[in-house]
Amino acid sequence: MIKFENVSKQYNKSKALDGINLEIHHGEFISLVGLSGAGKTTLMKLLIGEEGIDGGRILIDDIDISKVKKSDMPFLRRKIGMVFQDIKLLPKRTAFENVAFAMEVCGHRKEKIYEDVPKILELVGLMHKRDDFPHQMSGGERQRVAIARALAHRPVLLLADEPTGNLDEVNANEVIDLLLKINQLGTTVVLATHAADLVNKVKKRVITIENGRITLEQEKGRYKL
Amino acid sequence: MFHSVSFLRIIKTGLVNFTRNLWLSAAATMVMTITLVIFSTLFLLFAITSFSLQSIQNTVDISVYFKIGLAEEKIQALEQDIQSNPKVKEVKYTSAEQAFQNFKDKHASDPLITQSLNELTENPLPATLNIKANTLEDYPAIASQLQDAKYQEVVDKINFEDNRVVIERLNRILKFIVSFGVGLVAVFSLIAILVIFNTITLTIYNRREEVEIMRLVGATNWYIRGPFLTESFLYAISATVLCSLIFLPVFVKVLPKVAAYVNPQVNLFNQNIFNFWYLVLILLALSLFLATSSTLLAIRKYLKI
Repeated sequence: MIKFENVSKQYNKSKALDGINLEIHHGEFISLVGLSGAGKTTLMKLLIGEEGIDGGRILIDDIDISKVKKSDMPFLRRKIGMVFQDIKLLPKRTAFENVAFAMEVCGHRKEKIYEDVPKILELVGLMHKRDDFPHQMSGGERQRVAIARALAHRPVLLLADEPTGNLDEVNANEVIDLLLKINQLGTTVVLATHAADLVNKVKKRVITIENGRITLEQEKGRYKL
Repeated sequence: MFHSVSFLRIIKTGLVNFTRNLWLSAAATMVMTITLVIFSTLFLLFAITSFSLQSIQNTVDISVYFKIGLAEEKIQALEQDIQSNPKVKEVKYTSAEQAFQNFKDKHASDPLITQSLNELTENPLPATLNIKANTLEDYPAIASQLQDAKYQEVVDKINFEDNRVVIERLNRILKFIVSFGVGLVAVFSLIAILVIFNTITLTIYNRREEVEIMRLVGATNWYIRGPFLTESFLYAISATVLCSLIFLPVFVKVLPKVAAYVNPQVNLFNQNIFNFWYLVLILLALSLFLATSSTLLAIRKYLKI
């Protein structure tokens, strides 16, 4: 489904990614591990077209994303959900409204939004919190709302960049369990993290990045640096 | 349907932006209004001056009075001479009989004049030639051509009212209004652009989180830009409405009086340039242009898409 072919990326002469070759298949759950600054976030930014590629190419379902027109980029992003360490919820909107926002800005009708959002909130187990504002929720709950928002367009791929970075162990486990559940339902998930115990718990394909290069690939792997 | 939903949401978000920072919006609208008021004032001054100029220019002509009892051929020869001059725009010949008839018709209701006219045995009125030149500068040349010796035996009198001093003065005023006005409008347009630029930049800053999330969840670029443009359009429209409200009384009360003073025969309101809606349309175009250009600048500089 996704193919990185000798991809490289530079920021002011320092190489963020260097000769990345990687294939991600439909329905996979991939843990992307490495220290901060190893290139995990850059790799994800390239996938959603937030940053341009300096060398090589990335194919999504045989489409070269560097050839996608700028005006078509939003439609690619609707196929790729993304969650972040800093969660990025709108503080003045409730859980329901935060999820609905993703559908609103893409032109979905009100009826459709009222039909879909409760289902998604149900999926992430937060139906009872639908009218709560972000500051009324725990960190884990907030991140689950963010995941719900990322799922609003039924993406084929979910990118999670350090989603547990700011969470305690219990909350982090909740989030990882949710990601596993989403993966089971058929969505491909890429989880970038440097939390060893979570990766070890997941026991899926692990890709290790160091200094912008892939140094290790293991099926059903463990966190190793 | 998909598009109309998005369109309505863009308008709605723009409205929210406009009302959320009410003082800022008021300031932006005010600066825009001041620019429009200055523009309208100069526009009206220009229109009135050029209208006066036109009225005066139309009254300028050369009248040639021929000696009484001349043969028609001699008059026609002179008429052809004059007509062949490229500076002449129009020549209107009134024969002595025609002049007499006109005079009779004009005073038909006055029994005293009619009676005295009837007692006349011959026509006391001369044939006349009315000459209009292409431009004002051409009149002296035509007048001097008529004073040529070869015409002395036919021409009795040349009447050339030289309004050129007045006209030149009006022309100078007009030129001043244009150059001064263009400068003033340009300065205030620049101020308006800067203020709206700042206002929109602030809105962009206030909504940076929302914009970031919109991009991430795949909102199209125009969906993200739309509300900022809508907001600036609202400034433009409010300013146009305010300025129009200020100038409506001027149009209804003041302008007819000015027009009557300048030229009682011509109705000022028949002239396109004095049409109120014409002005409103120009104001709307000007304000929308200012709003759009400043917003596009702000978007280009500060809205990362």
